[in-house]
Amino acid sequence: METETIKEAKSFVDEVAAEPGGEKINECIQCGVCSGSCPTVEWWQYPPRKIIAMIRAGKRDMVLSSTSAFNCVTCYSCTVRCPRNINPTQLIHAVEAIAEREGYKPKTPTLTLHRGLRDAMMQGRVWELRLAMLFYLKTSLLEGMKMMRVAWDLISRGLMPLLPPKQTKKGGKEVTAILKAVEAMQKSGGAK
Amino acid sequence: MKQYTYFPGCAMGSTGKPIQASIDAVCEVLDIELIELEGWTCCGCPGESINELAATAIATRNLAIAEKFKLDMVTACSCCYRNLLAAHVTYTEDPRIREQVKKALAATNLEYNGTLRVRNLVDVFINDIGLDVIASKVQRKLTGMKVANYYGCHQTRPYGPDDHEFPVWQDQVSEALGAETVFFPLKAQCCGGTQLFSNKEMIYKLLYKILDNVEKHGGECISSTLCPLCFTNLDANQGRINNRNGEKFEMPVLALTQLMGIAFGLSPKEVGLNKNISPALKAVKPYLKSKVQEVVK
Ligand code: SF4
Ligand code: SF4
Repeated sequence: METETIKEAKSFVDEVAAEPGGEKINECIQCGVCSGSCPTVEWWQYPPRKIIAMIRAGKRDMVLSSTSAFNCVTCYSCTVRCPRNINPTQLIHAVEAIAEREGYKPKTPTLTLHRGLRDAMMQGRVWELRLAMLFYLKTSLLEGMKMMRVAWDLISRGLMPLLPPKQTKKGGKEVTAILKAVEAMQKSGGAK
Repeated sequence: MKQYTYFPGCAMGSTGKPIQASIDAVCEVLDIELIELEGWTCCGCPGESINELAATAIATRNLAIAEKFKLDMVTACSCCYRNLLAAHVTYTEDPRIREQVKKALAATNLEYNGTLRVRNLVDVFINDIGLDVIASKVQRKLTGMKVANYYGCHQTRPYGPDDHEFPVWQDQVSEALGAETVFFPLKAQCCGGTQLFSNKEMIYKLLYKILDNVEKHGGECISSTLCPLCFTNLDANQGRINNRNGEKFEMPVLALTQLMGIAFGLSPKEVGLNKNISPALKAVKPYLKSKVQEVVK
C-alpha cells in the first residue's frame, strides 16, 4: 500500500511531466550542472537542481509558492550543458506556468511581468510603453518613477513609441483566434 | 542579389530602430534583399515563461505564412530567432505538441508543413555572403579598434549553429572589417534583458559583470548582437551602473551592423548611431575622417 507522501510525490511529478518541457523530469541524475551554469542562481532560494528534487519529492506547495523559478532569465545555459538533455529551462518554465495558473502568489513582480508580456503578445504586436506602464501601475509606481530617466532617453530618441504599433487587422484577428483555440484546449484539459 | 523573407519582430520598430537602420543600410551594400513578412505578428517569445503552448502556436502562425514564399526566413532579433526556431523544432519533432498546434492553427485555415528554414542574419553574413565579400566592401578599415563582441543568449542557445559557449561569427565579421577582437569570457553570458522591469538589481549585476569583463580584457567598445533587448540593455543602462573605480561605465555600444556600416563608408546617421545612448560615436570618430584609405590610430 502506498503511503500518502509517495502518492503526493507521484502526482506532482506527473503534473510537471504533463507540461510542455516537463516531460523528462524523471531522467534527471541530479548532477547540478544546471545550477552551476545558472547566471542568476544566487537569487534562487531553491536552485534549479533542487527544484527538480523537490518536485520529485512531492513538495508541491513549497515549489509553487517560492519565487525561485521566477529568477530564470531564459538564457538556456543549463539546457545546452545538461548531460541528460532535459531542457531545464523549459522545466523551470513549467513550474512558473503551473504556479501562475493555480493562483499561487510568489512574492515577485516577475509574475506580474510575465502576465503582462503574455497579454502583450495577445495584442498581436507588443507595445512596450503600454507594457511598462501597466506593469508599474500594478507593482510599484515608485519603481516606475525610478525608470523615468531611461524611459526619457528612449522616448526622446523615438525608441519607445507613444502610439501602438501598426499591424494588419488580419494578423491581430488570427492571433486572437489561435489563442482562443489554445485556451479552449487547455481548459478542457486536453493540453497544457 | 540574395533574397530572404524578413521577420523584424516587435522591438525592431521601437528600441531596435537604430539596429534596423543599420541592417537596411548594410544589406544594401551586401546585395541582400530582406522582404518583410506580410502580416507578421509577435514571435510568441513573451508568452513562453508561463504559456509554452500559446507561444509555440503564435510562432507557428508566422512560420506557416512565411513557408509559402519558399525563401529562408531571416530574423536579427535573437529572441524572435530562438522562439521561431524553437517552434519549428517542437512542431517537427514532438507529435503531441504538433497536434495541439495544428488544431489551434485550424482556427485560421493556416497550416505549417515544417519546411521553412529559420535563420539569423549573422548566419547569412557568414555562410551565404562570406567574409571575403564583407572584407571587399570595407572603405574605412577599423585598424586598431579593440572590439569586444557580445552575443547574448539566443543567437546561439539552444539551437543556433555557432558555438553555444564561445561563439565566433561576430568576431570573424569584425576582423574582416579590420578591427582587433578582444576575447572576454562572458561574451555569451545573459544580460538579463527580459527582467529589467521586475528585477532591476539582479539585471544591473549581470550587466556589471559583462561590462567589467569587457574592460578587464581590454575591450574599448562592444559590438553587440542584433537583438534589440540585449543591445538596449547594454546601451541604455550604463548610467546607472558603477565600475570598479566607482565611476559610471562609459562603454561605447554598437550593434554589429552599425560597426559594419561605418567600415563600409556609411555615415553615422545612416546606421542609426545618432540614436545610441552610450558614447558610441566616440569609438568610431577616429575612423570617420578617412574614406577608402587605411587609418592608423
Ligand atoms: S543538469 Fe540536467 S541532469 Fe543535471 S541536475 Fe540539472 S536537469 Fe538534472
Ligand atoms: S535558463 Fe533559467 S534556469 Fe537555466 S541557467 Fe538560464 S536562468 Fe538559470
